[in-house]
Amino acid sequence: MMHWIDIAENYDFLMKGLFITLKLALVSVSGSLLIGIILGVLRYSKIFLISWLAVAYIESVRSIPLILFIVFIHFGALPYLTGESSSFFYSSCVAFIIFTSAYIAEIIRSGLNSVERGHIDAAKSLGLNRMQRLSYIILPLAVSRMTPALVSQFISLIKDTSLASTIGLIELTRSGEIIYERTYHETEILIFIAFIYFVICFGLSKLSAIWETKPYMCTEHREPIGANQ
Amino acid sequence: MYNFDTSVILESIPFLIEGIKITLFISVISSICAFLIGLITVFFRTMGSKPLKFIAVSYVEIIRNTPLLIQLYFIYKSLPAIGLMLPPIGCGILALSLYTGAFISEVLRAGINSVASEQYQASISLGLSKFQTFRLVIFPQAIRIIIPPLGSQFINAIKNSSLVSFISVTDLFYRVYKGAVDDFRFFEFFITGALIYMMLTGTVALLTNIFENQFKIQGRSVKA
Repeated sequence: MMHWIDIAENYDFLMKGLFITLKLALVSVSGSLLIGIILGVLRYSKIFLISWLAVAYIESVRSIPLILFIVFIHFGALPYLTGESSSFFYSSCVAFIIFTSAYIAEIIRSGLNSVERGHIDAAKSLGLNRMQRLSYIILPLAVSRMTPALVSQFISLIKDTSLASTIGLIELTRSGEIIYERTYHETEILIFIAFIYFVICFGLSKLSAIWETKPYMCTEHREPIGANQ
Repeated sequence: MYNFDTSVILESIPFLIEGIKITLFISVISSICAFLIGLITVFFRTMGSKPLKFIAVSYVEIIRNTPLLIQLYFIYKSLPAIGLMLPPIGCGILALSLYTGAFISEVLRAGINSVASEQYQASISLGLSKFQTFRLVIFPQAIRIIIPPLGSQFINAIKNSSLVSFISVTDLFYRVYKGAVDDFRFFEFFITGALIYMMLTGTVALLTNIFENQFKIQGRSVKA
């Protein structure tokens, strides 16, 4: 006997959770894009210490589980730094930005690396200066090639926002938990929540697949997947 | 300045080591299962019949587009309803294997696609069966390309295994958190936990590099 009526009865509550999930994902992705770009550029810095620090940040963040960041920042770091307990939304945002920016920095690096030497040489021989080369040749190519990877990082982020439920933020997953802790009909609620996540993430991945068919992606010159690690 | 107390960590080393064992157990077992699942899925997907292909594609897309936490909760809370009782650690291994398996199958698929289709046609015309083609011709070539991304999937498996603590498995993350809460020593425990996870994932990264060099063929660059 399935109890799908639970979903209809709590529909508004679940949608409120979905709204928080999307808000969290959007705020975090904007923040981590900003920091990711800065990190990606710092990585190429001429000063050894700065580039080394950027690499150390990226590599260490990438080898630690996200949940460690969320719990540590919410219960340990932010209360210590500010002297008062922080809001669930704020600390999850900080954790997601710290975590995702490291991945975005890697995407930006491989996007910049994907621009062929020939393009840059051709631009040089046409007399474009460094700034012009960057803004007319390298960035347009790199950005369009980075887009699929950035979208898939955004999809991971949307899925990862479910981890914010573990510190108590009432986003989609937690609102579902609250409902089934009361009704004990876990299966229906979990299937419904999974379906919502699926629709958002699958839709995004299909959109980015359309983008990937654009002609200037010229995939034959790109390095094989993972060859750059 | 925060006064960093190492004695709480030293006291709880045996407690944490027990957690490392559980984390390693879960990630190793589920990585092996995930690799097998990935192999089967990609075989169905590239060489199976239409219904098999559909099953493989839906499995991969459903798993890849829903959060692992929801899958864990689903396996932990909904499987008993249909009469399948697993211990929490079994649920964790099952969920993690299915999750990582979907990602590994995508990695394998990318590797297989990088092998030229003429090779496939040539081996079929030589009279090899589909399975033999897969095993003897395509897989040995693809494996060289997929080692690095495969390694990063195993690293992800270690990191994702921390989520099993939410279905009451006392793994490393659970113990780090419990130690931090019990003594109210967040900085000490979380920095130790982060270092341990970095050591575990770093070991896998190192092994990946070693394997990559092992499988390299002299004078032949691996390019897709």
